[in-house]
Amino acid sequence: MPVRFLRNASELADVSMESPLPVQVANAKPVPADTLLVATTNMFLSGERDLLGSTSTELPTLDACGQYRKLIWFYFRDGAAPTNYRVLARATDHNGAPLGTGWQELATGTLPGGANSWNRIDIPASGDGYYDQYRIVVERTSGSGYSLINKIVGVRG
Amino acid sequence: MSAERITRREMLKRLIVAPIGAAVLTTLEVRQASAATMQPYYDPYFVAVLWEGRTRCDSLWRSLKGDVAPILPAVQGATPYDRLYWTGYALGSAPVNVAMRVWARAVDHNGVPLGNGWRPIGQATIQTPPQRWFRVEIPEGHWDEYRLEVRSATPRLVYSRVIASQGYWKE
Repeated sequence: MPVRFLRNASELADVSMESPLPVQVANAKPVPADTLLVATTNMFLSGERDLLGSTSTELPTLDACGQYRKLIWFYFRDGAAPTNYRVLARATDHNGAPLGTGWQELATGTLPGGANSWNRIDIPASGDGYYDQYRIVVERTSGSGYSLINKIVGVRG
Repeated sequence: MSAERITRREMLKRLIVAPIGAAVLTTLEVRQASAATMQPYYDPYFVAVLWEGRTRCDSLWRSLKGDVAPILPAVQGATPYDRLYWTGYALGSAPVNVAMRVWARAVDHNGVPLGNGWRPIGQATIQTPPQRWFRVEIPEGHWDEYRLEVRSATPRLVYSRVIASQGYWKE
């Protein structure tokens, strides 16, 4: 027995691939994106440090990120000095302790953008993240100091 | 696929005569894509309307809201959304030739932009015959604010709607 439904208020149509039922999505929830960090990094300082200014290599910049498929790092830089960046990640155990020392390097390169420019870096650039901890480090390699204003959003869906 | 046009009276008669068919409808499996397509017409859930209205285009770069102040966003609170869709319709009998560009920026916890200016997302020219719909997909999502600008050498009105989609969990 064909199944029909009312379409356009006055038209009965058979259900088919070309004419599917209009339905509401049930049993689904939208996934919010969370702001995980807003920080200004002092790039007048020399040496490699994370976005929060830490030079302690075992300290994560972001913790408890296991629920996020990826992170999006937005930043505004008011100077164009050449700057290197590295994105590091690792997993933790049930107690939140890293499985081992050190990090897995997800990305490295020269920080894109000139003076007074907006930029964005997806972490990871392809595929899924779901790492528990991230450490994002930057280092100005030459030129004048500047301020690097960052925002990181965690995306689930 | 087949369809027939019937009156409301006839439709009611068929529903009353064949209630089993109606019961079957409630358990019928449907394609998820269909559900997602229909969703905004029922209950905005993971698709949201960010802006809807009329823009008077002229030779100046104007946001969809009509202002020429580059500091002002056209839409805000767009953080959760993967991508934005701008659908529009230009009035007038002349062919449509509207230049458009899209900007984006991020804000801090207080809603203040992280810095001056905007990031350019893209720009294009919308060229269609008169009285046609156009659609622009903005794939770079999760920025907090967007500014969509239009400009046309020939003044014209553009009616448009910006919607945004976000991911969802199935329970």
